Amino acid sequence: MKDFLKYFDKFAFIVLMLLSITGIVLIYSASHSLEQSHFLKQLLWLLVSLIAFVVVFRVKTETFFNFSFAIYVVLVSILVIQIVAGKFISGTKSWIKMGFFYAQISEFIKIPLALYLAKILARTSIIGWRDFFRLSSLLGIPFLLIALQPDLGTAFMLMSFLIVVFLLKRIKVVIIIFSLLVVAAVSFGTWTYVLKPYQRDRIIAFLDPEKYEKSTGYQIIQSKIALGSGGLTGKGYLNGTQSQYKFLPTRHTDFIVPVLGEEFGFLGITFLLLLFFILFYRQFNLKTESDEEFYFTYLFNGLILFQFLINILMTIGLFPVMGIPLPFVSYGGSSLLAFFIGEALIFRIKINTFLNEF
Amino acid sequence: MFIEKRKVTLQKIKRISIIANIIIILIFILLFFAFWHIQILRNYYYTTLATQNIEKEIEIKAPRGLIVDRNYKRLSENKIGFNLFLIREYAKNLGKTVQSAATLTGMDKKVINKTIEKYNGFPKFYAIPIKKNLSLDKVIFIESRSDEFPEFEINIEPARAYPYKELASHILGYISEVTSSELEEKTKEGYKLGNVIGKSGVEKRYESYLRGVNGVKTVVKDHLGKIQAILDEKKPTIGSSVVLTIDMELQKYIEELFMEHKGTVGVVDLRTGGILAMVSKPNFNPEVFSGPMEEEDWVALVNDPEKPLHNKFLQGLYSPGSVFKIVMALAGLEEKVIDTSTISQCYGQIKIYDRFFHCWNRSGHGAMNIYNALKNSCNVYFYRLGKKLDIDVIARYAKLLGLGDPTQIDLPNENKGLIPTKAWKLHQLNQEWFPGETISVAIGGGMINVTPLQVLTMISTVALRGRMPQLHLLKQIETKGEVVEKYEPRFKEVPIDKENFEIVIEGLFKVVNEGGTGRAARIDGLDICGKTGTHLVLSLENPNYKQLIKEKRFWPHAWFASFAPRNNPEIAMVVFVENGGDAGAVAAPIARKIYKKIFD
Repeated sequence: MKDFLKYFDKFAFIVLMLLSITGIVLIYSASHSLEQSHFLKQLLWLLVSLIAFVVVFRVKTETFFNFSFAIYVVLVSILVIQIVAGKFISGTKSWIKMGFFYAQISEFIKIPLALYLAKILARTSIIGWRDFFRLSSLLGIPFLLIALQPDLGTAFMLMSFLIVVFLLKRIKVVIIIFSLLVVAAVSFGTWTYVLKPYQRDRIIAFLDPEKYEKSTGYQIIQSKIALGSGGLTGKGYLNGTQSQYKFLPTRHTDFIVPVLGEEFGFLGITFLLLLFFILFYRQFNLKTESDEEFYFTYLFNGLILFQFLINILMTIGLFPVMGIPLPFVSYGGSSLLAFFIGEALIFRIKINTFLNEF
Repeated sequence: MFIEKRKVTLQKIKRISIIANIIIILIFILLFFAFWHIQILRNYYYTTLATQNIEKEIEIKAPRGLIVDRNYKRLSENKIGFNLFLIREYAKNLGKTVQSAATLTGMDKKVINKTIEKYNGFPKFYAIPIKKNLSLDKVIFIESRSDEFPEFEINIEPARAYPYKELASHILGYISEVTSSELEEKTKEGYKLGNVIGKSGVEKRYESYLRGVNGVKTVVKDHLGKIQAILDEKKPTIGSSVVLTIDMELQKYIEELFMEHKGTVGVVDLRTGGILAMVSKPNFNPEVFSGPMEEEDWVALVNDPEKPLHNKFLQGLYSPGSVFKIVMALAGLEEKVIDTSTISQCYGQIKIYDRFFHCWNRSGHGAMNIYNALKNSCNVYFYRLGKKLDIDVIARYAKLLGLGDPTQIDLPNENKGLIPTKAWKLHQLNQEWFPGETISVAIGGGMINVTPLQVLTMISTVALRGRMPQLHLLKQIETKGEVVEKYEPRFKEVPIDKENFEIVIEGLFKVVNEGGTGRAARIDGLDICGKTGTHLVLSLENPNYKQLIKEKRFWPHAWFASFAPRNNPEIAMVVFVENGGDAGAVAAPIARKIYKKIFD
């Protein structure tokens, strides 16, 4: 136990805690006028997440790798059952009830997926056709199931794994070309045949938000106004007109950064960026005991980086608006819990090297 | 734990982590500058937008100034208007809400639904105006049940009221919301959509004084438009009061006299030129426009063939008939074509330019001098006079006396009328003037068209022996009880010899007091001078004359232009009865009653 504490990355943990507390402070500002007390719920979820963190941290990393495929299969099965059940249960009310679980499963599936992908990557040296299809189906099945919910934003986040794989692994050139073609074809097909005009508008709205002022453009415009009017030091806590008078949409989830920017200004934003920078710096530069641990840290940290980047770019109008919360900060219990569990694994991986020296 | 052989070497990990670090650093530099750009460089721009988001200016409508008569009787004032609004956000069941709105206001459900539809694109919180000027009992009913009807809101705004309803409606005019074309013209003056503006009469002419200055309330609104705080409030300034020369008691009396008639009357105080009464029948209720606006009422008013919105006194164009003989007499005397000794024999008709011209008295008037020619309104005398005068000379005198030109009275939309000249005919009709036409003009026929207001100016000028008064309605403008502008009476000298006016006035005196055509106007002890005019609507030559004349719409128009007393005149008036019949029998007795009312 002493060793656990000795080698525990306290600094990175403080950063995590600061991010979560910043989140709760902002969630209070964003929703205190609403009847639901989101911030209390988030506080409760943080406690749950910390407990989960300690529990996961104490378990051997190997155990998770061993059970990763089983957990993956269970979670995918639940997703399938929900889709099927959803089709057969008539009435909108039951759909809404089910929706609650959808969100949770899609958040949690990231962990066994990253673990199992890491395991496969550790076993293959150069990705051939077989490995490629194996990886694709592992990723593709939950992607489709989540996309069907429909929660394109969360599904899209799983793509970060693919990017990490492409960056880290040697892959046959044919496969790279093939997959690029597939991505292009699927994107084009979806764009022309699947998406309805209003959905297309939502995606391209960020290019010219004024043109789409009444729909998605509105969110981008209000977000930029909130950030821009915050200036250097901000308007003060609970004093942001954009958030307090509710011009900012989904302030406690997707658009929590503008709340920070408006009330705490550029200094507040710099503080948040600094916290994330430390976190990424710490988590990407760590010693690992095995290849699967190495791949896991990159896959999971890559996911956090990807989600962080897209959320931020979205609020400053450089990326289409999609329902993607800011890790550790935005409101959402299952997201917070999932990220803490993932981090617990990484924190454990960090001390594994020291523990094994004895 | 056994140490397995790693495929990913330490060097490789190092290389990867360097690349990862570079990527992360680049990302954070990008983000840092992106936020720097938005929050620091564009701070001013976005601060302006944020302020625009929440700070809204609400116009507080200024109460309009009052219009009062010379005795400060309120002709046009403000009352509190209760307007009913509907807020969809609070309606649990919109269908039910519309139903109760219909029951409350007595409006058709379809009309209410149509109104709501217009606001489909507006936020749910927007208050949709349903009905203006709700009655007080309904206001109390709704307010006492505000728990039951949270979706209804009653707002209080000043509303225009006309306590005398139809009376003096043409003088006062009416107000209504500005149209988009008016808005384009008047943006500089600060008119906004939903503001009211004077559309006719004094309401239009003195709009700039009456409108007042609207106040502004600066408020903080949230994204739904709900007011969260009030930042600043500039109180509105009530418009100035317009005091008219009108005597409402007299106006009311004349309007009552005219109950069964169509036509118009104007009475002027000759000492100032101020109009005491101006009646035009039929009239309208100005509250139709500013009050509870029922579309049918409005359409009915605009499409009424009787044109109740038309102010006949200054917009109606009529042939002056024998009243024009005053102009002829003055022209003849001044041009020295006739004098008091000129005698004309009347046999009931006369042949001029190979054509017979008839006198109204077919049996003839006998020997006539200028006095008796005016007294009996002898056509033959004036036919002969007309033959001696050139049409352009006649036109010059008519214009000198105020006919055929706008009088510049302080009311909008005055008509010009027409006094024909040779040049006019050549230019307009591309025809030479025939001397025979001058003969018709000599008795006020032919192409002459004048407004009753011009006739009043003419008779006033005669009464004042050539001092032409500027007729007007404004006495003064008052702000908070203080006179800020006073109308100074204006007179213009007409270059006609005073002696000639005396001759004509002697004739006009005989008309009333020595058994002339206007004898029905005579009042003992008041020297009234006047001239009748009967303008035939139906030509005597019409083959169906006997049949058609039975219908009132073919009866002649009856004029009586007069003033009193003869010396130091105080009052002049013009009575014009449309299809009234014989002027001496219809118009003169009305004038008598009005003089009695004024001088008793």
